[in-house]
Amino acid sequence: MISIHEFVIRARVEQQSVETWIAAGWLVPPQTEPEPMFSDVDLARAQLIRDLREDLGVNDEGVSVILHLLDQMHGLRSSMRDLLAEVRNARTSR
Amino acid sequence: MSEDPYAVLGVKPEATQDEIRKAYRTLAKKLHPDLNPGDRQAEEKFKQVSAAYDLVGDAEKRGRYDRGEIDASGNERPRERYYRDFHGPGAEANSYSSSEGYADFMDEDILREMFSRGGGGARFRARGQDTLYRLPIEFLEAINGATKRITMPGGGTLDVVIPAGTRDKQVLRLRGKGGPGLGGGPAGDALVEVEVQPHRFFTRDGDDIRLELPISLPEAVLGAKLDVPTPTGSVRMTVPKGANTGTVLRLKGKGARRSDKSHGDEYVTLKIVLPERLDPELEEFAQRWQAGKDQDPRQHLEA
Repeated sequence: MISIHEFVIRARVEQQSVETWIAAGWLVPPQTEPEPMFSDVDLARAQLIRDLREDLGVNDEGVSVILHLLDQMHGLRSSMRDLLAEVRNARTSR
Repeated sequence: MSEDPYAVLGVKPEATQDEIRKAYRTLAKKLHPDLNPGDRQAEEKFKQVSAAYDLVGDAEKRGRYDRGEIDASGNERPRERYYRDFHGPGAEANSYSSSEGYADFMDEDILREMFSRGGGGARFRARGQDTLYRLPIEFLEAINGATKRITMPGGGTLDVVIPAGTRDKQVLRLRGKGGPGLGGGPAGDALVEVEVQPHRFFTRDGDDIRLELPISLPEAVLGAKLDVPTPTGSVRMTVPKGANTGTVLRLKGKGARRSDKSHGDEYVTLKIVLPERLDPELEEFAQRWQAGKDQDPRQHLEA
């Protein structure tokens, strides 16, 4: 687990931004009380959000849309991977 | 990274900072690894583009590069893992991934089984596929029942019990003998379509059997007791005196078995057959047989 202090350094973002992103639901750290603790996934996601806003010029509405679509895409890709694995198992066990 | 950063970004060396920034954004939107989760090449290209931008996207660094104070390889900043790397094979399920992308498929039973996932474990169950076979069988095997062996594509064998009374094109379902289920799901069924081959002299008419029985002229005129084939062996049948071609006699219960275990009948249609070589005695008889000459067997064909 990563503390907020380490998190802002590694993600290269302002602490205030991180708090805003948590409030917007873009980041959902596994622990918020008494102070937020972050996972490696949260860190990578924060870096993605930073890339989108700073490097790619995406505005806040755009970030919400992109994250929502990406979350769906990762869900689909994961299900597809499971499905392929099961089909492969079924083939070899036949 | 040794390539010319201007070439990587696709701008002229005299481009303004604003033009460089625009060029970078255009490329980054296309190449960012998190926007291309399935494309391994995107990451390599994106690295080159971001390294180039790191160098010339900053006016001060760009000046030093242009003056030759630093070279093109000096500024590659290592990136920690991309977000997409947390969603690769073997990655733990995380709270961000969503199943909304296929929520509308969930009306399909099979997909609901596949995609309903419990507590991070990615398991799904699905019934195996049905496999289809075509099985040719003899006419009498269909009437009397039989056991046939099918060799499956994988090399295994499948014993198929043909129930008595099976019809042509009937499909027999062997539960659990099809493809294996997925994730512990039940196996599919084997579906065997029966093709009943024609018989030399029997034909099938529903549950009844039909047979054309040739008889001689004396047998027709005088009547006879004849051995008649049935699917279960010969039986003795009485041909009445004065029988004719087209006369139909019934052998009760000698047809195919029905599903209620009763049986159809065998219908025997008589057919008078004259001797192959004309007999002089018969010819002489016909010459002087006045009643025969007076008969008009084609009366019903008159318009």
